[in-house]
Amino acid sequence: MASKTATNTGTPIESNTELATFYIGKALCGIDILSIQEINKHFEVTTVPQAPDYVVGVLNLRGRIVTILDLGKKLGLSQIEKDKRNRNIIVRSQDEHIGLMVDAISDVVTAEKDKIEPAPSNISGLKGRFFKGVMKTKSSLIGILDIEEVLKD
Amino acid sequence: MIEDDEILQMYIEESLEHLSDIESDLLTIEGDGENIDIDIVNNVFRAAHSIKGGAGFMGLTTIKGLAHSLENVLDLVRNKELVPTPNRISVLLKGFDKLESLMNDIQASNDEDVSEYVDALANITKSSLTEEQQDMVTNLLDLTLADGRVFPAVSQYSIEQAKDDGRYIYLVEYDLIQDIQRKSRNPIELLESLEKTGTIIDSRIDFDSVGTLGDNLLSTRIPFQILFSSILEPDMAGTLFDLEDQYIHVVTDEMLSISNATEDDAVAAMPLRTDIEPELETTPAKMATIIEQEAVISPKLVATQKVTTVTPNIQKEQIKANPVAIKNISQEKEVAVKQNIAHVNKQKETSKVEAQAKQQPVKVKPPVAARKKIEPVATENDINDFTNEGDSGNAMNMSKPVGSLRVNVNLLDTLMNLAGELVLSRNQLIQGINSSNAKATELSSQRIDMITSELQEAIMRTRMQPIANVFNKFTRVVRDLSQELGKSIDLVIEGKEVELDKTIIEAINDPLTHLVRNSVDHGIELPQVREATGKKATGKIVLKAFHDAGQVNIMISDDGKGLDPDKIAAAAVKKGLMTEQQVSELSAKERIDLILLPGFSTAEKVTDVSGRGVGMDVVVTNLAKLGGIIEIESKTGKGTDIQIKLPLTLAIIPSQIISVGNEKYAIPQVNLDELLRIPAAQVKERIEKVGDADVVRLRGNLLPLLNLSQVLGIKKTFVHPDDGTEYPDQRESIADRRSSRTGQNGKRESVNSEFVLERKGQDRRYRASSAINIAVVSAGAHKYGLVVDELRDSEEIVVKPLGRHLKKCGGYAGATIMGDGRVALILDVSNLAQMGELTTMAEAERTAKAARAAEEAREKALDKASLLLFKNGPEHCAAPLNLVERIERIPVSSIEHVSGKKVVQYRGGALPLYELSQVSNVSKLPQTEQQEIIVFTVKGKELGLMVTPPVDAVEISLDIDDSTLKQVGINGSMIIDGHTTLLVDIFDVVKTLNPSWFENEKLAAAEMEESGQKVILFAEDSAFFRNQVKGFMTDEGYSVITAEDGEIAWNLLKERHTEIDLVVTDLEMPNMDGFELTSRIKKDPALSHFKVIALTSLASDAHVKKGKEVGIDEYEIKLDRENLMKLIRRYLNL
Repeated sequence: MASKTATNTGTPIESNTELATFYIGKALCGIDILSIQEINKHFEVTTVPQAPDYVVGVLNLRGRIVTILDLGKKLGLSQIEKDKRNRNIIVRSQDEHIGLMVDAISDVVTAEKDKIEPAPSNISGLKGRFFKGVMKTKSSLIGILDIEEVLKD
Repeated sequence: MIEDDEILQMYIEESLEHLSDIESDLLTIEGDGENIDIDIVNNVFRAAHSIKGGAGFMGLTTIKGLAHSLENVLDLVRNKELVPTPNRISVLLKGFDKLESLMNDIQASNDEDVSEYVDALANITKSSLTEEQQDMVTNLLDLTLADGRVFPAVSQYSIEQAKDDGRYIYLVEYDLIQDIQRKSRNPIELLESLEKTGTIIDSRIDFDSVGTLGDNLLSTRIPFQILFSSILEPDMAGTLFDLEDQYIHVVTDEMLSISNATEDDAVAAMPLRTDIEPELETTPAKMATIIEQEAVISPKLVATQKVTTVTPNIQKEQIKANPVAIKNISQEKEVAVKQNIAHVNKQKETSKVEAQAKQQPVKVKPPVAARKKIEPVATENDINDFTNEGDSGNAMNMSKPVGSLRVNVNLLDTLMNLAGELVLSRNQLIQGINSSNAKATELSSQRIDMITSELQEAIMRTRMQPIANVFNKFTRVVRDLSQELGKSIDLVIEGKEVELDKTIIEAINDPLTHLVRNSVDHGIELPQVREATGKKATGKIVLKAFHDAGQVNIMISDDGKGLDPDKIAAAAVKKGLMTEQQVSELSAKERIDLILLPGFSTAEKVTDVSGRGVGMDVVVTNLAKLGGIIEIESKTGKGTDIQIKLPLTLAIIPSQIISVGNEKYAIPQVNLDELLRIPAAQVKERIEKVGDADVVRLRGNLLPLLNLSQVLGIKKTFVHPDDGTEYPDQRESIADRRSSRTGQNGKRESVNSEFVLERKGQDRRYRASSAINIAVVSAGAHKYGLVVDELRDSEEIVVKPLGRHLKKCGGYAGATIMGDGRVALILDVSNLAQMGELTTMAEAERTAKAARAAEEAREKALDKASLLLFKNGPEHCAAPLNLVERIERIPVSSIEHVSGKKVVQYRGGALPLYELSQVSNVSKLPQTEQQEIIVFTVKGKELGLMVTPPVDAVEISLDIDDSTLKQVGINGSMIIDGHTTLLVDIFDVVKTLNPSWFENEKLAAAEMEESGQKVILFAEDSAFFRNQVKGFMTDEGYSVITAEDGEIAWNLLKERHTEIDLVVTDLEMPNMDGFELTSRIKKDPALSHFKVIALTSLASDAHVKKGKEVGIDEYEIKLDRENLMKLIRRYLNL
């Protein structure tokens, strides 16, 4: 692995944090489950012309206008492919609900502090600044996303 | 802290409410001068008074002092001892302004220095008093009660006044706990009720008598002392105050003694101490100040074993004492407040907690944050810090009492009823759904629909506020400004009661202020100037609000000098906003509108008042944000009218839903002017390209078009009319037609120039769905047509904000949720215009003007002709008037039938009669007794055409359709007065009926064939005349070269001048007209030998003269075939 470590923002991951994990392309990523409002599969989005390319559109979530982002594009990966397993992860940030469209949802795992390493700057082509760290599990690596960093315009 | 205190909050709100009315009252008082209206003065007086009363109770010494000084002056005015001159009113106004600002920042009020205001007010008071009295104004008295307690620092003046009026002075002591808290009364209400029967001179809470730790707790009182003067006799007082006699003291002179203290020191009399013991751990409350107090209480509590916990409810009561406490801590740093408060708290706790079962002592640890604040209490300086910290932290949230609105009780009842109905309807709906009863469901959904609308309206009404809230302050603005500028201005306000949404009321404040200031500063002239121009010295500004078409209109009119369009234009040029050239093309109105341009301000000198570098454009932008628009009308020397149109509310707005591609968008109705659908057949004519912009012709004006899908970069799709599938749209320009070659795979196979050429000749849009839908919108300075795919319903939408990732997309004002649950974006019309780089209205008007000019030119270019209108049975017909000899009416009986022909004896000969149906496929004439006959002369012979009346002559532009209805004897058709009118070709008619009349021509033609054809160059822009006249010529054997305008003719002539024998030209033509063509021919040595015959439909004398000058050899009227042919023969020497 590359030796350079990315500068991390946000609170560090503590042990016992539960991470909701999901796939973006083939990369497995996770975010703190407590930052998630809900996970749904509403895709009747209204496209917003002239929006940044990573914006899928806006969605009516029980009377609230929610911006849906293509997490793949936002992270600089490939666009999320249309698939039955697609989900929107609705997170709350700065008094606003924002949806992150991901390829598929995976398990909830408990973070173990000693297994988390600082994110290398070039983790599978992803930009290091989006990550708080990388956690190794038996079968895979989970990139732990810094949600505020990801949601920056 | 204080801000939690409902009572303080209530006090602030009420005071502000009083203050808001005062301004206009004071101005009325000023206007009335010596003849004061006692009711109005009383109003103001009472306001000042109740503010003072409350302030005393709240411990707001500064406010109390200021209010007191104001009250003194007002009292003198009330008693007519003082005339309210403008200067005095100014001092009062400033005093009340200060009071208001103190109210708005109540936390810091006690630290404010108001001596400037107090002194100014005191000077006014003194000026009207005797010397002895003057001292009283500043003198303070101490009032000593029988038990030795002192009510310090009472204004001697107030006391003396009360005594002079023969009133009794009472010092009444209410107990905050027993008399107020226990009886669920509220101190402010108490003060108000007392005000009804007398005057409150002063009030305070007597902390001295709260008692000490050693006293019997249960007997301890918190006396709320009120110094009260009333005409009521002492024996009645008990009933009035609802107190036991022992708490009512009648103040006598003996009790009063001169105090050493100044008003500022009044508070000093209240004792307090600062050495707070360190048993902080035991404090149970969260807030810092309270903790401070609790810290003191706790050991005591524990010691008495009566109270173990402090419930949060208690905090409120404690707070009442707080302002004073804080003030004391920060200012005086003395002793003993601790014990007092300890008692206060103790007592309340006791009262509250006693009811509960005795609990085990619990020690509550204060939260970390609270502890931090407690620590500094130890030193004096730190105490100050502490107070400040509290202020700054809370001032931000609390200094403005936000979030409370007065609502009419009736309205609340309505809301309640509606809510009830809503619940009932919901129940019905649920029942209907559960029982799958479609009818019931439908019924209840209808009900819910109705109730929702009503509910919406009712809730909206709660947000509605009269515009008076904004308007009233302008009386003051105008007054102050006009004084400052030495102008005399009357402000007339109309329509104060018009209501607007709270948010809009707040937001229009600044733009309106700007406009009103402009009127005062730049609009109204100085009195001398006005008189010199014959106006009244006093200017007039009218501020008017009224409802119109679902919008609120605000009008600001002045009778000042008005706006000078030329000056504005000059300034615009100077500022580089426009060029001289551009400006010269503008109308006066357009020039005035220039002041709305960004960066414009005509103020020659920048005054304090207006023209601070921000101009009208800011006003325009601010109003546009609210969905408002502004219109200016001004007459130089007469005045200016500025009209603002505003929506009633912003939260729910009516809008037009449109769609582009698959998505729906909403356009706010305020921005929408009209909807336009250009039918497929007219697209080519009405949509044009000016430069690289599309424009549409709308009632003679050119309206710039913006293609929404282009501006937003939406991939355009269209539904194929045949198979209903969607394909990407390939058109580049609106006027373009879709390619028929769009392949089934949705891709256009090729775009070649051949195709483009092909469509030029004829427009082949024929499907209704090819029509173009345009929403004509306007916002601020922009007005344009938004081209959309479809126009849908108009709906009321609820505006919701877009997320932060979409903030950069300027084209949207927000989003809304449609009935189907999908999100629709709301378009921001003015931003779209900027994104589409549209020019502003001024420029749009200029293009419109150019278009009008072009239209006129086109009109001119069209050939005008005189026609004779008549009917042939049901058909409307027309014939060239110049061929007509006479119109006759003959009895049918005089018509003779000779050898199959109809003739009538006429001027000694037989006039052959024909009817149109003999030649053309038209109706036969109806049988009548009288017959109208139009007599034509053809080939020197006369013939009569039988027609049906009415017969009429018109002069119109010919715009002839020479294809649709063309047939033998009919040239074509055109629309005249809304009727399709057939243009009768008399020559054709005669030729068909009497071929022998044209024998000569045939012979001539045959001759020419033999001797060599003569070639005529014929220039004519109208296809109809071109074909007609060319027909005449070829009939006679000439070869004709046609040209569509003068320029083409010129080029043809230069190329082929060797073959050409004669030039025949129309006069009115695009690019190069007949005069120009002739003059070129005559000037060119190689061509000057050519004879030029000019064809015209109307040969005016001026034309003939002009034609002669350029060298036209002969004139002939179009469609006068015979004469034209004669002329041609003559000029060709045949």
